[in-house]
Amino acid sequence: MKKFTEEMVIDYADKLLIGLTDDEVKMVLDEFEIIDKNIDIINTISDIEKVEPMTHCLDDFKYSLREDIAEESIDIDDLLSNCKETANREVKVPKVVE
Amino acid sequence: MDKYKVLIGLEMHCEISETNSKVFSSASNSYSEIANTNIRPIDMAFPGTLPVLNMEAVKKSLMASIILNCQQPEHIYFERKNYYYPDLPKGYQITQETKPAPIGIYGELKYECNGEEKIARINNIHLEEDAASTDHYPSFSTIDYNRAGVPLLELVTYPDFHSADEAVSFLETMRSIYQYANISEADSKKGQIRCDVNVSIMDIDKDETLEENWGTKVEIKNVNSFGGVRDAINYEIKRQIELKEDNMYDDMEQQTRRWDEESATTIYMRSKVDAIDYKYFVEPNIPKYKLEKSLIEEVRSLIPKLASERKDTYINEYGLSNYDATILVKEKSISDYFEDTIKAGAEPKLASNWITSIILGHLNKNSLEITDLYVTPTMLKDLIDLVNTNTISSKQAKEVLYESLESNKTPTDIVKEKGMKQIGGEDEILKVVLEVLEEHPESINQYKSGRNNIVDFLVGQVMKKTRGQANPAMTMNLFIKEIEKR
Amino acid sequence: MKYMNKSIEELHELLVNKEVTSKELIEESIELSKKVQGECNAFVTILEDAKEQEVTDNLLSGIPYGIKDNYSTKGILSTGSSNTLKDYVPFFTATAIKNLEKANAVAVNKTVLDEFGMGGTGTTGHTGTVLNPWDKTRMCAGSSSGSACAVASGVYPYATGSDTGDSIRKPAAYCGIVGYKPTYGMISRYGLFAFASSLDHCGVLTRSVKDAAIVTDNMKGIDKNDMTTWDSSNINLYKSLTGNVKGKKLCYIKEICNLENYPNRSEELNNHLVNFFNVIEKVKELGIEVEEVSIDKTLLNAIPSTYVVISCAEATSNMSNLTGIVFGPREDANNYIDMIKNYRTKGFSSLIKRRFVIGSYVLQSQNKDRYFHNAQRVRRLLVDEWNKLFESYDGVILPVGSGPALKLDNSSNNLDKETQLLEEHLQVGNYGGFPSITIPDGFVSNLPVGINITGKCYDDENVLNIAYAIESTMEYKNQIAKEVNNG
Repeated sequence: MKKFTEEMVIDYADKLLIGLTDDEVKMVLDEFEIIDKNIDIINTISDIEKVEPMTHCLDDFKYSLREDIAEESIDIDDLLSNCKETANREVKVPKVVE
Repeated sequence: MDKYKVLIGLEMHCEISETNSKVFSSASNSYSEIANTNIRPIDMAFPGTLPVLNMEAVKKSLMASIILNCQQPEHIYFERKNYYYPDLPKGYQITQETKPAPIGIYGELKYECNGEEKIARINNIHLEEDAASTDHYPSFSTIDYNRAGVPLLELVTYPDFHSADEAVSFLETMRSIYQYANISEADSKKGQIRCDVNVSIMDIDKDETLEENWGTKVEIKNVNSFGGVRDAINYEIKRQIELKEDNMYDDMEQQTRRWDEESATTIYMRSKVDAIDYKYFVEPNIPKYKLEKSLIEEVRSLIPKLASERKDTYINEYGLSNYDATILVKEKSISDYFEDTIKAGAEPKLASNWITSIILGHLNKNSLEITDLYVTPTMLKDLIDLVNTNTISSKQAKEVLYESLESNKTPTDIVKEKGMKQIGGEDEILKVVLEVLEEHPESINQYKSGRNNIVDFLVGQVMKKTRGQANPAMTMNLFIKEIEKR
Repeated sequence: MKYMNKSIEELHELLVNKEVTSKELIEESIELSKKVQGECNAFVTILEDAKEQEVTDNLLSGIPYGIKDNYSTKGILSTGSSNTLKDYVPFFTATAIKNLEKANAVAVNKTVLDEFGMGGTGTTGHTGTVLNPWDKTRMCAGSSSGSACAVASGVYPYATGSDTGDSIRKPAAYCGIVGYKPTYGMISRYGLFAFASSLDHCGVLTRSVKDAAIVTDNMKGIDKNDMTTWDSSNINLYKSLTGNVKGKKLCYIKEICNLENYPNRSEELNNHLVNFFNVIEKVKELGIEVEEVSIDKTLLNAIPSTYVVISCAEATSNMSNLTGIVFGPREDANNYIDMIKNYRTKGFSSLIKRRFVIGSYVLQSQNKDRYFHNAQRVRRLLVDEWNKLFESYDGVILPVGSGPALKLDNSSNNLDKETQLLEEHLQVGNYGGFPSITIPDGFVSNLPVGINITGKCYDDENVLNIAYAIESTMEYKNQIAKEVNNG
């Protein structure tokens, strides 16, 4: 069985709310193959599973948390200045059905 | 019902309302009727904005973790939960997952249900951000981002509840904790509390400590009141038993349903198979934060007295009945009012009587919160003093209090205005007593022949003549003395 | 060209002595912007109404500069070179740019990048390909393509950049200029459009190490809006440029730069590496010890896929806010899902969409450990290796890329496997947040090539001072691109 299929790629894209052309789907499949081979190399590194994943750039970073002080709200005109459709100070969207 | 055992687990979301600013945003954390008034750029996910973690939100969630007897992690991490929805401006929610460990794991909480003490095990409690809110119109919807980024605590229990009563008692205990610990108003009317409930049934003779004996878990999403939780659970139990009886239970798949308040039913949403993959990963913009032991100890020392401790004090130190103490601690605002009245100098028992007998009735009748009352704890204390010094009778005091609650005048002013005072001197009352005896000479013999309650009648006559200003106890004593002389 | 080919110090002196005004500099810079736009397509926006600023003690005051178009600028179109934000005008300015405003620096244009910084060719911006000012048949590399092109063309002495893999340091090499990204968190990322947050760095492109130091001194600083920033008030890069490097130690990694790794090497690659070792000799003449070290090849070979996995995963999440709901050219549809989908399908280039799918795949719960967590594990192993080197050495010195700028007609991202390590090794600087600077170190086929020095975190002063000393042994400081015709 193939590890990566066109259906899979289309499904992932769909969940990301993007559409792909047929050519793009093929390209993704090719790229998957390459990445997968490279990951196979990673898996040959001994005891890789014992290494703690590095999630942040500076690992030993020491800092203080933000003090609990509220800042003034941004002006509504600024907030909505880039929004194409608004209604009563709010952002308007097509009807959301739960 | 006797054939089955019910297992209920809860996910309780509660907004932390008692911080000045939101959890990852410095916008004000306050409730507003006007849309989009508490917004910093990150709340609408403008490009280039970054989360900045609020120390106070961490402390509040840490306090909840400690109260729930949870283990605290060495480092605090946050994770992104990725999905698309119009109320989620970033396209992900910053939350905590179980790995790395959230602010609290593996705790337990004692709670009371119908007078019995129970224990619920906590799987975890974590800190996250709330989503925006949407308003729906016939042909479109609108988004208000005020709520986006408000700190939210999500508490996840094990399926340790066996009835709607137990589940709701636990939720009430939690609400009380959030209120008493100054974490949240925990007001479901403001949408601050939301619950997900999972329900399954199993044969009663099987061992519930073995997971393989459990039934199929049905999760019910978005139940927004405790009444709703009770109804949803009872509906779901009934539904599942019916399936069982019809031999259809085994075909039921693990699923998510939602509680529909209007029809009072649960409605199928999706099967477990269609569960969304949230693609969690550690939020790189919030460096892991070392949770120092000293911070944990500091927060522990800041935990205020919770309802159960206050109740103990009321019973053991103030000598209140269990019944009254229970009523007083049910809402933190009422307990605070009671304690403020005592702090103002009132005697606890008297303060308790006034609050439980008159003030709470008034609140109920008029659907008011105690914080809405014109009568402050100090005013109540002054009123109690007027009775203690025999300036007015307790009957008068009740009238004054009612009037004060209605008219927004202080009790002291009302007493002054009406020239009210109790006829306290023995000589003054004795005059009236003699007058009444003269008018009702037959009463003397009636009393002597054993009709003791005739005294009540006589006292009533005195009250009439003095328009309630005589001290009733003193009046009664004077009658008895006077009759026995004759 | 009257003034804009000069260094910041020279310009400052002219301004202070009133031999030229800020207004005149701005006019010249805008005129040059238009010319370079016509020739190389380097800008999204030219700010024709840029206002002169008062000349103060600050070296940057009154002097024009360029801003990469993924920095949020108040009242000025900020597109990230993407159709998804082609009409977005922010109401707030990125902290780093605000800091430059405080220095009275004058922004005169917004420069083209590879869409949201994803890509290294300068071909994926929504306004079209950026051409290399040395040779218009070649790319500038990316993603800070427009900034590199403009600085190399002498439009102004500096432009801001951002660097997630090598997006400042590679285009700098291809354009014959200096590209520097300081330690992670030294410059605030607030207002920088996120690509991969754990790898994204702000930085600068200049024509000399000293200018890079001056600009970074003014951009940096702890920021309450970025939790990953730190207090660098005790660091003064400009003042630390003494040129005194006696006794410093550098190393190069033989698996990356030795000629015998590339038996089928092209002439350009050959000359690039030969040039590298010639420069190493000059470095030694400065009194710097340079040693060869070795690192496990398997680990090194994992650098590029580690990058793809981590950067794609973070990017797919970071760019989930691009829905067209609050900003961006919203698409019409009957329901919000189609509305977002139409917007994203139309707005993103093919490359980005493909990377999103990859990023999403590696984060799926059933794949996460094999791909994403393993990539994060390799990231740690690599960072540990480099940190081990920094115990004995002040920095790692390596050639940038496999030669001069690549031809645009074969600019596909499927690079020659054999030279992949040479092309991608700078990504380790992002894995560890290391200070890393590229300076020009010669010419191959009449086109500039670069060399990179990377040091340990927070040691920016030392790294820059070493680069400053090495720069002084060569004649490429402050060079302006001269179009060459290689036939």
